[in-house]
Amino acid sequence: MKNAVSGLGLAPDAAMVTFPIELFLPGSDIASVRARKREFYDGLTRWKSEFAGAAPGEKPLLSVEAASHEEALFKANNLLLTSLWGDGLPLWPATRTRVDWILKGSVLPRTHVLGKFPPRGGVTTIETCAIALAMAGGRPEYLPVLVAAVDACLDTESGFDQLQATSGGPFPAVIVNGPIRKQIRLNSGFGCLGPDPQHPAGASIGRALRLLQQNVGGALPGTGTMAIFGAMRYTNAVFGEDEDGLPPGWLPHAAERHGFASGSDSISLVFASGVTNIRRRGAKKETPEEDILNGLHRMADFMRTPNLAALAGYEKGTPGIMMIPPVVAQTMAGLGWTKPSVREFLWEHSRIPLEQMRRAGAPAWIEIDANPVTRASIDLDPWPICTKPDNIVFLVAGGSHPTHSQWLQAHSPRVTGRMITLPESFDRLLADADRDLGCGDDVCLV
Amino acid sequence: MVKIEFHDPSGRLEVTTPHAPRLASLEGKRIGFVSNEQWQAYRMLPLLKETLEADFPAIEVLPVDAFPQGNALIPTEETAALVEKSGVDAVIVGNAA
Repeated sequence: MKNAVSGLGLAPDAAMVTFPIELFLPGSDIASVRARKREFYDGLTRWKSEFAGAAPGEKPLLSVEAASHEEALFKANNLLLTSLWGDGLPLWPATRTRVDWILKGSVLPRTHVLGKFPPRGGVTTIETCAIALAMAGGRPEYLPVLVAAVDACLDTESGFDQLQATSGGPFPAVIVNGPIRKQIRLNSGFGCLGPDPQHPAGASIGRALRLLQQNVGGALPGTGTMAIFGAMRYTNAVFGEDEDGLPPGWLPHAAERHGFASGSDSISLVFASGVTNIRRRGAKKETPEEDILNGLHRMADFMRTPNLAALAGYEKGTPGIMMIPPVVAQTMAGLGWTKPSVREFLWEHSRIPLEQMRRAGAPAWIEIDANPVTRASIDLDPWPICTKPDNIVFLVAGGSHPTHSQWLQAHSPRVTGRMITLPESFDRLLADADRDLGCGDDVCLV
Repeated sequence: MVKIEFHDPSGRLEVTTPHAPRLASLEGKRIGFVSNEQWQAYRMLPLLKETLEADFPAIEVLPVDAFPQGNALIPTEETAALVEKSGVDAVIVGNAA
């Protein structure tokens, strides 16, 4: 990590003595600590910050010139990449015109400060978000969701400073509830965690969030984030719960977890560290009861693993997000299952025998956990993967097909909710989207 | 010629707290460690303590566990207060990787 201190309000450089990773491994030869003692002594006595301070006022615009528009666009993309602000995919240069257009989606002034993006600590304004969304190919009607997601990330309770930097590489999973998910063409159906030309919002919003994480937060691979693999880091995961697919009596996630009124627009932020597909459906003759029960056991079997990153959310966060498609939810409900009873089943049947924990060396991680509630859980056999069933995030989303469930294991100290605030001109923005992208209503989509 | 002007996406940095002033010398000073207790800290920091004590006979280096350890405890206000109360002239913070 080379930029963590600026997030604390200090100059971005610091008196550090850095060593190759081999030195930090068990059994390593640590003689170089003594050999480089002078660097430690100098750090305590002679070191001076070389940071001259940021220039006051608005940052000057960047500029490229070329013989043709195509060539200028090429140069702009190269400049963004060589400045370490790109992600390898083509970017829209955030021109004044494009950023001003995106800002039509905000109720707040462009200079409104949301906070400092950790660990680097770049000041994050509404304009900063609009710049990232412009680069990511976004549209103004996406901005309210992005701003809510950023605000949730910057919540000091979210643990975001450590999640940005940690080697496990957790990524934000942003669950959207309310009418906005359909209004802005956010996917909650087939392929909801991936690209979809008819539902492009999730890719742009998630990519913009990632660009903010990297460019403002400093999460550059290998120096600003130690994410060893960094999965899902092009677009994160931004998707909607399929509220139309909820059986009668099943509440939306935002209402259950955050107490937001059903029908209101909101986001819920979870940090996930992986996505696992579960073949839920059986293969031969079976009754509906057997289909559901076997599938629930199979889901619990996937959850019954010592995911030690999830200890961070053992008491107040979540061990993960379990997603089932709407057609399965309807069958479950027909058999009397509810969201709470499913969570109860999954919690009960995902408990891990202590012997399994021991052979994986898991108790040592529990013993050193900062949370006394988590430490106390070591006495439980079988060991529950979180303190209570309600910690499990259980959603209805995905294509209406019964074969699979999806488990996003988490590294999430909290599940942070935020209401989404829309500008007065929102309907006009949606009309503009219809003009640009064609009718977005269900009846028009393929 | 075509010119494209666009925003720098990196956001401003604000320095609100200066880095601590450096010491004129380590001789006769009181030095502490704030450790996350990971990444061989239990070997590397004692070695550093030993090295400091060998090179500066009048130095006082507090034990590695003089303050709360671990990622969750070292950034707390309580730990900061303990460090301040201890009267150390400087601390070495480690081990990150």
